[in-house]
Amino acid sequence: MLVSIVFIPIGVVSLFASRDVVEIIDQYETECVPQNFRNDKVSFIQSNANKTCTRRLTVTKLMKKPIYVYYQLDNFYQNHRRYVKSRSDSQLKDNSGWDEVSSCKPEDMSNGQPIVPCGLIAWSLFNDTYNFSLNNQQLAVNKKGISWKSDRDRKFGRNVFPRNFQNGTLIGGKSLDPTVPLSKQEDLIVWMRTAALPTFRKLYGKIEWDLQPNEVIHVTLENNYNTYSFSGKKKLVLSTTSWLGGKNDFLGIAYLTVGGLCFFLALSFTVVYLVKPRRLGDPSYLSWNRNPGGH
Amino acid sequence: MASDFAMGQFQFLKRLLLVHGHWNYQRVGYLVLYNFYRNAVFVLMLFCVFYSVIYTSVPTIVVGVLDKDLSHKTLLKYPKLYGAGHRHEAYNLQLFWITMIDTLWQSLVLFYIPLFTYKESSIDIWSMGSLWTITVVILVNIHLAMDIRRWVFITHAAVWGSIMITYACMVVLDSIPIFPNYWTIYHLAKSPTYWLTISLIIIMALLPRFLLKVIHQIFWPSDIQIAREAEILRKVTPNLRS
Repeated sequence: MLVSIVFIPIGVVSLFASRDVVEIIDQYETECVPQNFRNDKVSFIQSNANKTCTRRLTVTKLMKKPIYVYYQLDNFYQNHRRYVKSRSDSQLKDNSGWDEVSSCKPEDMSNGQPIVPCGLIAWSLFNDTYNFSLNNQQLAVNKKGISWKSDRDRKFGRNVFPRNFQNGTLIGGKSLDPTVPLSKQEDLIVWMRTAALPTFRKLYGKIEWDLQPNEVIHVTLENNYNTYSFSGKKKLVLSTTSWLGGKNDFLGIAYLTVGGLCFFLALSFTVVYLVKPRRLGDPSYLSWNRNPGGH
Repeated sequence: MASDFAMGQFQFLKRLLLVHGHWNYQRVGYLVLYNFYRNAVFVLMLFCVFYSVIYTSVPTIVVGVLDKDLSHKTLLKYPKLYGAGHRHEAYNLQLFWITMIDTLWQSLVLFYIPLFTYKESSIDIWSMGSLWTITVVILVNIHLAMDIRRWVFITHAAVWGSIMITYACMVVLDSIPIFPNYWTIYHLAKSPTYWLTISLIIIMALLPRFLLKVIHQIFWPSDIQIAREAEILRKVTPNLRS
């Protein structure tokens, strides 16, 4: 009974919180490949063709700032063991560790020189970009403060600069400005916080502007990232948040279900107790009193 | 498990058999099942030395050594209670398989609830692992707490203390910048979703077992159950002869 009294309100509140979150999700990896390349998307993405793509997003409900812009990848296993290991934290933290690249194989050296930042995680940095405009006016995207503060302060050094990055034959993703220290390269920091599940979102930036219902946002995106080699999906997500985080009906529904179940059980046990009670400590239930001759 | 006893006088035999023999059987039977459960639940998770040694073994030892289901007076007065051992009531094949099925249920709940809660979110691998680890520790300790028959100070200290020590260890480990899970616990503790997920898992995982225990105790109480109720109600040696 106690469980149901606690759980049902939590379930209701969580469900309402989740319902309050407004989300716009736009899957674009197929639509942003021109028709003539639809049969061979991999060669399109690897070519020098124009990768600019425009999308229209319609706002359904009022979205209050800050509005979080995420990119969502499906079927991308950032949690693969070899991938997760392929980084060098000592290199990222301080310039003195610039040549400690042994854990980064195969992305450790290029042209005989160590790569900074080394490893598969950094090499595969996401490189699609998004530009938003509303009524022909540019919507600014705040890209500061999107990573964990503890990462910016302690894991990615202020004196570490990219060098020899994406210099090899195979380019995996975005290039980095060698004049900006790693502690300010927030896209890299966000990307290197490896995701737990194969379907994940990463923060791209925040829009500090309210969006009214029925407004149309034009997105100009650069479809650079190759997810076609492994049939991955790319989605652009604009989302508000609640005290519970992003949109997730699961917790609310689960709490309501468990709360309801417990309520029903409590009711049944009360009925049993009233209808057919067993007196506690009643000796007639003892096995030697029930079958006196037995065993 | 010792099986050779030496005693000074024959009169000690009665107490040895009926009191200590009974307690030992109950403790060992339960402990074997509990240890199968505790280890099997963790099979899905990344194995961590800390788990077995520090986080969950202390309550196991404390319960194994100290738990008493009935007072020695009751046991001496009603030798027929010793029959529970003859009838294999604390450890038998059926109990083993029920424990295994319960373990399977609990591991599935433990694994899938965080998965469903956090899919399509921006959670990272270290936070997820942290969530799973702490929930396993809390879960197996509360499972044990549900079965403890006699609560004394040291039992409380062992069970709740283990949970608090696990949290303390996590805070310490997550404060060392060299480790990949740096700052994870601080980040997670600020999110209500984290706490809600943990309590949901605990309740959902333990619900079937709880239900089974209650139903069994209401409809098919064992001798020991009756004797315990009588003991608690009358607070003196009960009169169990009808």
